[in-house]
Amino acid sequence: MSTKFDLNDDSLVVIIGSGAGGGTLANELAQKGIRSVVLEAGKRFKMDDIENDEWKMFGKISWLDKRYVVGPARIAKDFPNLPAWIVKGVGGATMHWAGVAMRFQEHEFKMKTTNGTVPGANVLDWPVTLKEMEPYYEKAEKKMGVCGTKATGMPFHGESSHYKVVKEGANRIGAKCEQATLAINTETRDGRPSCQVNGFCMQGCRIGAKWSTMYTEIPKAEATGKTEVRPQSMVLRIEHDKTGKVTGVLYADKDGNQHLQKARVVAVAGNSIESPRMLLNSASSMFPDGLANSSGQVGQNYMTHTTGGVYAEFEKPVHMYKSTVVPGIVHEWKNNDPSRGHVAGYELEILHLGLPFMSAFLNPGKGGWGRELADSLANYDKMAGFWICGEDMPVESNNITLHPTEKDQYGLPVPVVYKTDHINDTHMRNHAYDRSKELFDAVGALKVNNLPPYPASHNMGTNRMSEHARDGVVNRWGQAHDIDNLFVSDGSQFTTSGTENPTLTIVALAIRQADYIADQMKKKAI
Amino acid sequence: MNKNKKDLLQSASAKKGKADEVCMNRRRFLSKTGTYAVAASAVVLGGGLFAPDSYAAKKIGEKANTTLLKMARDIYPHDTLEDKYYTQVLTPMIQAAATDDKKLSELADGAKSLDQIASQQFGVSYIDIKSEKDRVSVLKQIESSPFFQNIKGALMMGIYNNPDLWPRFGYGGSAWEKGGYINRGYNDIDWI
Repeated sequence: MSTKFDLNDDSLVVIIGSGAGGGTLANELAQKGIRSVVLEAGKRFKMDDIENDEWKMFGKISWLDKRYVVGPARIAKDFPNLPAWIVKGVGGATMHWAGVAMRFQEHEFKMKTTNGTVPGANVLDWPVTLKEMEPYYEKAEKKMGVCGTKATGMPFHGESSHYKVVKEGANRIGAKCEQATLAINTETRDGRPSCQVNGFCMQGCRIGAKWSTMYTEIPKAEATGKTEVRPQSMVLRIEHDKTGKVTGVLYADKDGNQHLQKARVVAVAGNSIESPRMLLNSASSMFPDGLANSSGQVGQNYMTHTTGGVYAEFEKPVHMYKSTVVPGIVHEWKNNDPSRGHVAGYELEILHLGLPFMSAFLNPGKGGWGRELADSLANYDKMAGFWICGEDMPVESNNITLHPTEKDQYGLPVPVVYKTDHINDTHMRNHAYDRSKELFDAVGALKVNNLPPYPASHNMGTNRMSEHARDGVVNRWGQAHDIDNLFVSDGSQFTTSGTENPTLTIVALAIRQADYIADQMKKKAI
Repeated sequence: MNKNKKDLLQSASAKKGKADEVCMNRRRFLSKTGTYAVAASAVVLGGGLFAPDSYAAKKIGEKANTTLLKMARDIYPHDTLEDKYYTQVLTPMIQAAATDDKKLSELADGAKSLDQIASQQFGVSYIDIKSEKDRVSVLKQIESSPFFQNIKGALMMGIYNNPDLWPRFGYGGSAWEKGGYINRGYNDIDWI
């Protein structure tokens, strides 16, 4: 636990971020004997810090540094400074995620081949196939403890009351609904307890039944003596030498003191806003547009999934909060069937919010008040609902840029996030709203509320993988096309978003990337 | 009523730190710029929000007492909830305004503007408009003002994030210390 590396040690891998990508990479490397320093912008929380309280945990763990959301989408009005709902702390967004762990479908790795050119979108095939990913998905499911999979043999959680309502509605309209494969223990496993269904998965799991790098990968990596985690270390820029290789990372500690940690390899895993921001902030005379940006794609193609919410009110109680947050998924429309009026697919993820968040999201923004809203909230215990999660189109103009004048507390330009629908996203969301209403009507809904998208927890695509250097930022291993010893290890490397929640794929890619980095280091290629 | 005042003061100050934190979270989340420290107490006198002879009352005008309460009930109307749940949110805002001219004018001017619009369009002051629909039409016209949004934001936290009210909305709150729901109604439903 107490391993300390010297700032001038240039034999280390420096990993920026400790979430699904960075935390996993650190542990995978550590198990192979490869030494790393993990620079984490946020604090290290303890299990005692985790409470079953939506607003308190929001205030405690969220990434709340200044950001702007711009563009014509409603989210820019409702949440002008909160594009993303992610975590600043050791463990990153794996503290907040609901644990949904699904593999991509085969066609989702080759959306360009599947649908051809989609006008107005920047669609590309991944330089990786499902077949290549399968062994790594298997390893990821074992590592994370995903219930309902062959990899672990752990059973599902069982049907909660919330699940039963949706399942019945799905049955009545002939839609396929299954319990969710969650990285949440249903048996004691890997030193962590079985889920007791607190219903606060997204506030951090108080008992550690849900996989988070905070209490799995990170302490395991530290236990090897090969990994040093430095919390409250905000990266300012990545340095390089005159050959263009990266040589170290400049960061500010909690007191604002700057340090330069030398590095043999740098892996960026700060989520899809911070990762491209770091590369852009590292612009130099040699790389005037930012590191690894010869393609101009750093920060572009920002994807969040096509989302929205649907909450139905019934005559009798459901008590949806007495459940894992995501007890099940309606899979009926996850395939790619353009006859629906959109390409790509979506899942309806059964998901509950507590009353405090429901009051903020049922009709967010300035106009969310009045009797209709109050009457719906009075029916909170009779609600059941979905979070729509569909593949969204990569659009180059959906992007992360740097504010021209405004700086944050670290003196870094504030990130500006532009995100709006591609027409395919709008068609898909409307399809999902309509099918959801049919489903809920079939089981006797008195009222069905459609919720607009709220700040994104799934952030992808801003340093995307591509076969050719001209089309993207990194190659099939997450290695920068332009700089051999610079890697991207988080969801920003996604070429397209798939419909599935990104974490399992991020972890599978990190396991695979660790193999590659170890191999390349051994061969002295990096 | 004086006894009531004392109790409320005590319990409210005990919760001060928590309320501050929660309010801060909400503000950061909703990106509001107004800063009402939710502090001190809930003083409920004579159906109004604060003592008529208090400094705040004198400065803001007694009428604002009832105007603001009516407005609060129109923003999140729950007819079965007692006034105290609304006044618990408003009173600290007004008390904070007693020592902060900017906040004071926001509240006083806000209440005044409601009455101005009401009298122009309905010929009476806001509280004397009989139909909720008509009062809502007045509120709609000031919906985007900091005055309205700060009160709305504080009410959202004070009503829907109020553990005392969660049982009445059928919400369970913190569950881990009770062993979660695995043996407490996880799959109970009798109508499916």
